[in-house]
Amino acid sequence: MAEQGAADPVNNNNNNKPEASEGTIIKVTVKTPKDKEEIAIAEDASVTQFKEEISKRFKAKQDQLVLIFAGKILKDGDSLSQHGIKDGLTVHLVIKTAHKATDGGSTSASSSASTQVGSSSTSSPAANPASTTGPAGSGPAPTQTPNLMSGFGDLANLAGLGMGSANFMELQQQMQRQLMSNPEMLSQIMENPLVQNMMSNPDLMRQMIVANPQMQQLMERNPEISHMLNNPELMRQTMELARNPAMMQEMMRNQDRALSNLESIPGGYNALRRMYTDIQEPMFSAAREQFGNNPFSALGGASDSGVQPSRTENREPLPNPWGPPNSSNPSESGGATTGSTSTSGTTNPSVSNPLGINPGSLGNGMFNSPGMQSLLQQISENPQLMQNMLSAPYMRSMMQSLAQNPELASQVMVNNPLFAGNPQLQEQFRAQLPVFLQQMQNPEALSVMTNPRAMQALMQIQQGLQTLQTEAPGLMPSLMTGGIPGVPTGGAAPAENPASSPSSATTSPAQQQLMQQMLQMFAGGGGGGSGGAGSATTQTPEVRFQTQLEQLSAMGFINREANLQALIATGGDINAAIERLLGSQPS
Amino acid sequence: MIFFNPPPLVKGVVVPRSFRLLEELEEGQKGGGDGTVSWGLADDDDMMLSHWNGMIIGPAKTVYEGRIYSLKINCGPRYPEDPPMVRFVNKINLNGVNSSTGVVDLKSVSALSRWKNSFNIKMVLQELRQHMMMKENSRLSQPPEGQVYSN
Repeated sequence: MAEQGAADPVNNNNNNKPEASEGTIIKVTVKTPKDKEEIAIAEDASVTQFKEEISKRFKAKQDQLVLIFAGKILKDGDSLSQHGIKDGLTVHLVIKTAHKATDGGSTSASSSASTQVGSSSTSSPAANPASTTGPAGSGPAPTQTPNLMSGFGDLANLAGLGMGSANFMELQQQMQRQLMSNPEMLSQIMENPLVQNMMSNPDLMRQMIVANPQMQQLMERNPEISHMLNNPELMRQTMELARNPAMMQEMMRNQDRALSNLESIPGGYNALRRMYTDIQEPMFSAAREQFGNNPFSALGGASDSGVQPSRTENREPLPNPWGPPNSSNPSESGGATTGSTSTSGTTNPSVSNPLGINPGSLGNGMFNSPGMQSLLQQISENPQLMQNMLSAPYMRSMMQSLAQNPELASQVMVNNPLFAGNPQLQEQFRAQLPVFLQQMQNPEALSVMTNPRAMQALMQIQQGLQTLQTEAPGLMPSLMTGGIPGVPTGGAAPAENPASSPSSATTSPAQQQLMQQMLQMFAGGGGGGSGGAGSATTQTPEVRFQTQLEQLSAMGFINREANLQALIATGGDINAAIERLLGSQPS
Repeated sequence: MIFFNPPPLVKGVVVPRSFRLLEELEEGQKGGGDGTVSWGLADDDDMMLSHWNGMIIGPAKTVYEGRIYSLKINCGPRYPEDPPMVRFVNKINLNGVNSSTGVVDLKSVSALSRWKNSFNIKMVLQELRQHMMMKENSRLSQPPEGQVYSN
């Protein structure tokens, strides 16, 4: 039986005591997961003294040392004997590294950095003793910022679902960078009604955000974020803020003030700093990869939750979605881009104004930026890109809102650099607008647009038309390509040709009709009929829509006038015409 | 002559509780294991050797890295036949750990789900540490350091 049964449990019998049993020096083994050292220390020493010895031997700072013995952490004020540390026993040592809040080893990949941030952000609201009420939303919110941006950068990935074109991503990143470095662009974007339209749909926003796998990861690790997203009130408030750049700046100023107040609170500054290092650094190193820009200095989460989301929201509306609808007009596939850039002066980012947003109005800066243009160019050169673009879910809704709001669309058109120099074209385009938009809605049209061969065919048509026009200007009353600025004006009136002068007077309607024909073909699933596009015959709409009219009247729409109108508006698309006639919203 | 039948040498000799616990105590003091876990008697006057402290150093490359988790282990009267009661002192987000009390459900740790009397406190701590390294646990978001369960 155990002879130790009655023994004092602490005093082990097998004490290998050295000669001096009452001796003051004991040898204690200090063990780390990697290392083991024997340290001689006085028996009655304090833990602090012990740590001094250890720090010398292990070459670590004393405050980095954590000593554990028998399952207990040894506090500095204790003594070794208090814990029963005797000669020959082993004490465990943990050397704390500087980043004690890092959760999990993560590589420098931005996604893991963001997930890391996501987990450490949960520490921020609690770790900030001086936080004002309601920081719960603001804690995780700052982490959203890079995610949303990268989210929109990555949305393209999502949308493309295996988008192979690396160029596209580059471009998008370029664009983002541009966007970031040019804050006025941002406010311009904000003011653009299309954006506002988009943003007024919280569901849409939420979907976009959630669709990003990074966000999903983040949400998984940090339920606060998903709460924020799920809270329509918050989203709406956020979007309100984002919509109003002046308000946003005001908010930021408030936050700045709050921040500086924080600093004055004892312990607050440390908390802030901690928050910064915990959150901001990884966040911005992640963000920096994408944007090449780190306008932030000290940021914290200690203000109303409304402000933080504003910071996240204001990065959302990328110009990206508008690029393709403008360039996807088949007649533009020539890929012309204007060369003007108009980036107004940027505001230096400050603490209160992290993005350096200067809510002044910008011209068509956004669309004229080189990034955007190169994007457009790229897109038109590479139909695959377009396909990927168009298949984006948000694209659909974009199109829808475009279609529903012709003014919006016309504004967008106006801003399009391709039309910027040519008011004529703009006019023409405005006329085409309803047709065009309906086309965009038409899935067949979309599929044609996404079909690279079809696009090529269209380009060929266009080229053929051009050649025709130069070779036989009399044949074609006008140059139909609406997308190449200067060419219509140049080609529309070769003075020496008498046939063209009357035709130039009829340029608009003929052109329109030509366009309509083109689009009609489009609607017809138009891979074929390329020959038909060349003939600029002017049929009356009635004749053209003969079959459709018959069908409509057979269906019971007896108002021929109305039918005709509807058909004209939809370019011969019966289904769309029916919807128009019924006055119902296209779903 | 009376001779005592020597007690049959049965495999699986039942080791008395105190014997076992004293062994474990000694090993704990000598720093058994690889330095990633530690255990010892909570109270030196605990004659029953029931209340123990445990310590787990969060494994690297997990969310637990850099953290030191303190545990309370209670070896009941039927230990080691019956498993000990284990609970975390520091708050932790880990499968099998009750998020409000920190009590560990040993059955959720695969290696400990079928308790044997050969298991000991060291094993409990080491297996819990392994449990932290499992995929389903190694990336769970953790509460801020320094928080403890209230009971």
